[in-house]
Amino acid sequence: MKKLVAMLMMTAAVSIAAKSFAAAPADTLAEVKKKGVLVAGVKDSLPPFGYVDEKTRTIIGYDIDFINAIAKKLGVKVELKPVTSASRMPQLQEGNIDIIAATMTKNPERAKQIDFSHTYFFTGQKFITRKGAVKSVKDLEGKKVGTAKGSTSEQNVKKAIPSATVLSFDDYPQAFLALQQGKVQAVTTDEAILAGILAKAPNKGQFEIPNVQISDEPYGLGMRKGDKNFVDFVNKTILEMEKSGEAKKIFDKWFGPKTDFHLQRNFKIVAGK
Amino acid sequence: MLSYQFDWSVVTTGKYFEWLVSGLGLTLQLSAAGIVLSFLLGLLIAVLRMSHFSPLRWFAHVYLEFFRNTPLLVQIFFWYFGSYKLLPMAVNEWLNSTNFEFAAALIALTIYTSAFIAEDIRSGVLSIPKEQMEAARSAGFSYIRSMQYIILPQAVRITVPPLINQFLNLAKNSSLAMTIGVMELTYQARQVESYTFKGFEAFTAATLVYLVLSVVITALMDQYNNRVLNPQRG
Repeated sequence: MKKLVAMLMMTAAVSIAAKSFAAAPADTLAEVKKKGVLVAGVKDSLPPFGYVDEKTRTIIGYDIDFINAIAKKLGVKVELKPVTSASRMPQLQEGNIDIIAATMTKNPERAKQIDFSHTYFFTGQKFITRKGAVKSVKDLEGKKVGTAKGSTSEQNVKKAIPSATVLSFDDYPQAFLALQQGKVQAVTTDEAILAGILAKAPNKGQFEIPNVQISDEPYGLGMRKGDKNFVDFVNKTILEMEKSGEAKKIFDKWFGPKTDFHLQRNFKIVAGK
Repeated sequence: MLSYQFDWSVVTTGKYFEWLVSGLGLTLQLSAAGIVLSFLLGLLIAVLRMSHFSPLRWFAHVYLEFFRNTPLLVQIFFWYFGSYKLLPMAVNEWLNSTNFEFAAALIALTIYTSAFIAEDIRSGVLSIPKEQMEAARSAGFSYIRSMQYIILPQAVRITVPPLINQFLNLAKNSSLAMTIGVMELTYQARQVESYTFKGFEAFTAATLVYLVLSVVITALMDQYNNRVLNPQRG
């Protein structure tokens, strides 16, 4: 029992320390330059954002290319640490990593805990439909829309198109089967997932992802709260990447016409967003 | 962190309560229609199964073995997704414009349960001494009329208790309709959970409703059995 109490107290102490950033350096920019390495928390199983390359056994992806560019600007090496959606914020706050580049959606609750860079990737909830069937959200009013159970996608579509009937299936392939058979007029979720479904579909020529978006998912790079020098540096760097065309080049490399995803780049990296 | 804050108001008031009630409505519709249809169909199959005309007997036999021995979930998917390949496009388009999810679930539930009901009725019929059939036939009744007036009325009395089981199974199996998007009670309980994270409350409420539904079905059938069919046993 005493052990348990001690452990609990330690846990509490650690979490308090993490919250007050006692363990983390206050000026990451100076610290990273001094140690000569930028430690980034990335996803390692989410193509094409961050995943292990089969040939080289290293982590590659859209997020990693951004980290490499920032490190190059700093003149330091890169160390990649795989993180999960649950572990990335504590890892950052405890100082185990210097920056998060892990498909992290910027939202107000998270912004209370950490600082975000400008949006470096922008996606949102969209639809797969038969070619030419849907031009705007209006075309789906009163129609049946398929999605997977328990996802936030379901809630978003009910909010955006209250008159639509949402049919929730057990998974996305089943929802897509219902679309192929005309049982629903659209399947909806995050565009990156939709693009993956469409890429694998046998008769993908008949379907498309129209440019109709019902929710925003802006991804930002995460840094420790109040770490102003570092945040400014990262923001400056990615704005330069936008200007020089490097950011677009990275997007096309992972999502462009030569990939399975065929996504249009419908955003630009701009200050204040 | 470990303690869970119960909030029963989630499922007793407001829009989540309305969701559960609308789910219950669909569950009741599915159950009531399924019970009536599967009983009638089961009766027909049982008669065919005992027919003296062997093609009909064999048809009923294959029907029974097929629908009793495949999972209901697979059958639901078959009627909903698989039927698409078998039907002409015009029929498919018409079906898709209707509430086909409900219809497919009802067809699957009815056919699946009818196979079990047919076997229960057949065992009831077989328990009637065969001399009764012989007596009826020698008194001039046709086979069908003998069944209708002499055998089945007795057999159904014997069959009521096992039928209650089949009806209860049907009411509870109707929850599988959620897999093809029929917004019945279990579906709505899951919806409430994903919106509120109050899964414990939502599923407790659904469980209680299923329990009450089952008790009501049992009580009604018992009443019918005791008062109408077997008043002497009372």
